[in-house]
Amino acid sequence: MPRHFEVTRRDGAARLGTLRWRGEELTTPSSFDSKEELEFLNALTIHKAELDVAVITSQEDLRAERIDADVVILGGAPRFGDDPRGLTKALVRARELTNPDSALYVPALATPNNVSLLVYAGVDLVDPIMAEVKARDGYLLSAEGERQFDATSRSYCMCDACRGVNVADLPPEQRVTVLSAHNRHALKAELCIARENIERGTLRELVEGRCRTAPMLTALLRLLDEEHSYFERRSPIVRTATLLACSQESLNRPEILRFGERVIERLNKRGGILLLLPCSARKPYSRSRSHRTILKRLDKLRQFLHEAIVTSPIGIVPRGLEIMYPASNYDIPVTGKWTCDESEWVIGRLTKYLEANAFDTVVAHVSGPYRKVCDEAAAALGVDLIHTVKDENTLSSDSLQRLCAVVQELIVEYSPKQRDLRFDYIQDLADYQFGPNASTAIFAESPKVRGLFPTYYASDGRTRIATIVGKYCTLALTIEGARRYLRAVENRYCVRIDDFVPKGTVFAIGVLNADPEIRPFDEVIVLNERVIAVGRALMSGWEMQASKRGAAVAVRHVEAR
Amino acid sequence: MKTARASRRRYPRQAASGTTRHRTRANDRLAWTGLDLLNGEIVPSLTVLLTTKGCYWARRDGCTMCGYIADANPDAQSADIQKQLFEVLAQYGTAFKIVKLFTSGSFLDQEELPIDARDAILSALADTPKVIVESRPEFVTSEICGDVVRSNRHVEIAIGLETSNDDIRDSCINKGFTFRDFVRASKVAHSDGLTVKAYLLLKPPFLTEVEALEDAIQSTHDAAPYADTISLNLCNVQKGTLVEALWKKRLYRPPWLWTAVEVLKRVKPIATIICDPVGAGTARGPHNCGKCDRQVILEIKEFSLSQDSASFTATCADQLLWKYVLEFEKFSYGAPLVP
Repeated sequence: MPRHFEVTRRDGAARLGTLRWRGEELTTPSSFDSKEELEFLNALTIHKAELDVAVITSQEDLRAERIDADVVILGGAPRFGDDPRGLTKALVRARELTNPDSALYVPALATPNNVSLLVYAGVDLVDPIMAEVKARDGYLLSAEGERQFDATSRSYCMCDACRGVNVADLPPEQRVTVLSAHNRHALKAELCIARENIERGTLRELVEGRCRTAPMLTALLRLLDEEHSYFERRSPIVRTATLLACSQESLNRPEILRFGERVIERLNKRGGILLLLPCSARKPYSRSRSHRTILKRLDKLRQFLHEAIVTSPIGIVPRGLEIMYPASNYDIPVTGKWTCDESEWVIGRLTKYLEANAFDTVVAHVSGPYRKVCDEAAAALGVDLIHTVKDENTLSSDSLQRLCAVVQELIVEYSPKQRDLRFDYIQDLADYQFGPNASTAIFAESPKVRGLFPTYYASDGRTRIATIVGKYCTLALTIEGARRYLRAVENRYCVRIDDFVPKGTVFAIGVLNADPEIRPFDEVIVLNERVIAVGRALMSGWEMQASKRGAAVAVRHVEAR
Repeated sequence: MKTARASRRRYPRQAASGTTRHRTRANDRLAWTGLDLLNGEIVPSLTVLLTTKGCYWARRDGCTMCGYIADANPDAQSADIQKQLFEVLAQYGTAFKIVKLFTSGSFLDQEELPIDARDAILSALADTPKVIVESRPEFVTSEICGDVVRSNRHVEIAIGLETSNDDIRDSCINKGFTFRDFVRASKVAHSDGLTVKAYLLLKPPFLTEVEALEDAIQSTHDAAPYADTISLNLCNVQKGTLVEALWKKRLYRPPWLWTAVEVLKRVKPIATIICDPVGAGTARGPHNCGKCDRQVILEIKEFSLSQDSASFTATCADQLLWKYVLEFEKFSYGAPLVP
């Protein structure tokens, strides 16, 4: 069956797509416009024709195994107007049980205010019905919320419908005409903004702003965040845009939770001496003035230490992961004070990190709120920290002197192994991306590491095994690296394709099987009986398997098997 | 329609038991007086609620919008029911031109209302110009009508036809009888010289506002030849019903009063049609925007007595919203656009 809807770009659960119908192409997320279009779609729900349209009309339908259609309608959606819990459940469930190549249409619910959140949750199609209803109820809608018009109201809107008109003075019918034109325009404008943000990968930043304007929307975002696996399964592993953590909800972003989980669950267990450092405004941390000062002072001593950075909202960033998103590019409002939520979250991450690894001793070169957080985590575990900062200044010569003295003593006491720090980056990225013990599988004998920060590469004598590639700073395996990985772990991060030699792009239709753990922009291994290839995933693994349309993997190298 | 059926079947009915009784009736009153239309004349009327063991259909299966079974008394005996009427008559007198006897079930069902009670009650009202009782059509037989006529020759049988559309009556209301059953009952009653009133339900669940509007108009056309009077009943949300469960999930909204006005205006030329908007102007009852409700309710009541469309003069800004709802509600695929 030919599909009429294709997803072209993803940002978490949100998608840009193209719906082919009525002889034209509609770029989604989008709003139907005319009554004629609504009638047409309505007719398609009854008479099967050009487009396959399914309606979810009851809770029973939501319990179905799978719904496969070009357009799936979440029937009765207006009832969720003030029920964020019901809406969250219905949206997540509807999206999960429909094919990823299905466009999800939520009728008669969208307003300029809520539409970006609907899109964030995975909605592809909306309509102007609620905007029209609100116009007839006397409401002027905008992305910031709704305002009812009374005799004293003035419109400050500059849209074509509002300009030069004082809505409050108009008789009812003309007022409705103006409000309805304005509301429809505002909805379209907001959809444009949402589409643009998906393109840039920054829709989350948009909705964190939009949700502030109404308790219902804040509740909706918080409840959506509780559906962690739904969003995590759709969230890219890396992105170029900076993560802006400006709200309480930012702490619950899928990529922040995922980073925290992987640091504990995937990274190699460490021993020896841990040095805790505060974060810096500039990323990666080691390029910042504060870190350069400290690291320069420690110099060769660093080869005996494990470094980890304490930061809100990421938690704990082992030095090797400082180039990995989101640690590599995030920004937070810096006030010198941490909220309870922030502190609690970071204390939790640090406690888990100390628990999971077996450090002989922990040096904390931190001050202010960082020191409080470190102390609380240590207290929770009954561990003693060695503080090296004097007078609350991490960069004073006293503090730095003490740090070096303490570290020197500890090295004598515990005599830890000396390491090549550049390999830390490669090792940590390998484990972070490919799962626990991936680095030991790929780099059995200690490899040679070369290159300039951060694009190090590891080779085994002559053969290159893996390279940190620019832009996203992910670790890309060479074919040799892939072969080594495959010997140790079968199927993980593998995409099995039909019997063809991939060139450039592998499309979803050619994928037989894919590891459901794969996320957009993950480095993956592409396989069939004849060839082995490496490349970058363009969609999640489960989606490659379920989709019939769209680019699945951008292939980098191919070799005969 | 498929969905309507599915939801209805799953819905757990409240067991009719004597242990927990909820009073759902207005103000707990068991009788009240009012004005009604009799042969084109406005006359004083008396309405009496008789507590019986309740409608047999409600006990067995039940209609989606009816919660009257909660007011029934499973132990109601013949003497007890007679006593209820005579107490009311003692209080209000017998000078009313119209007396309405509502059991919230079938007055003619001998299981519900024993024969001796029925005959005693009808005989006591033999001089009243019009006595209105309610019954499902299966009890309107020539045998029972013959008995009724022997006790009282001025009886009008009100039948809850709800709609002339068998699909809607079955799937959305679960009424358990057909239009043909109603027609048969009507013919039997008329042949015995009794008159018939048809109740039509405006906006059963699972219909959009405009579907409800069109259904009520069509039903009036269909029922008019078999009914002396048509009563348009605006659906309200009663406790313990499927309609209530849908309403709580925001999947049902009682009809707009404008819809009722529209129906009354459009069917006026073809039938005598009355309407008593029960619970109107509240969230559970038929309502408009809240600003115009009071006036529209008054005009509907006025129309019921005058049968003159000139009664309807109210206008309100929310008519624009109502018209939009009529046109666009179906595109929500299952929920009202406004509460």
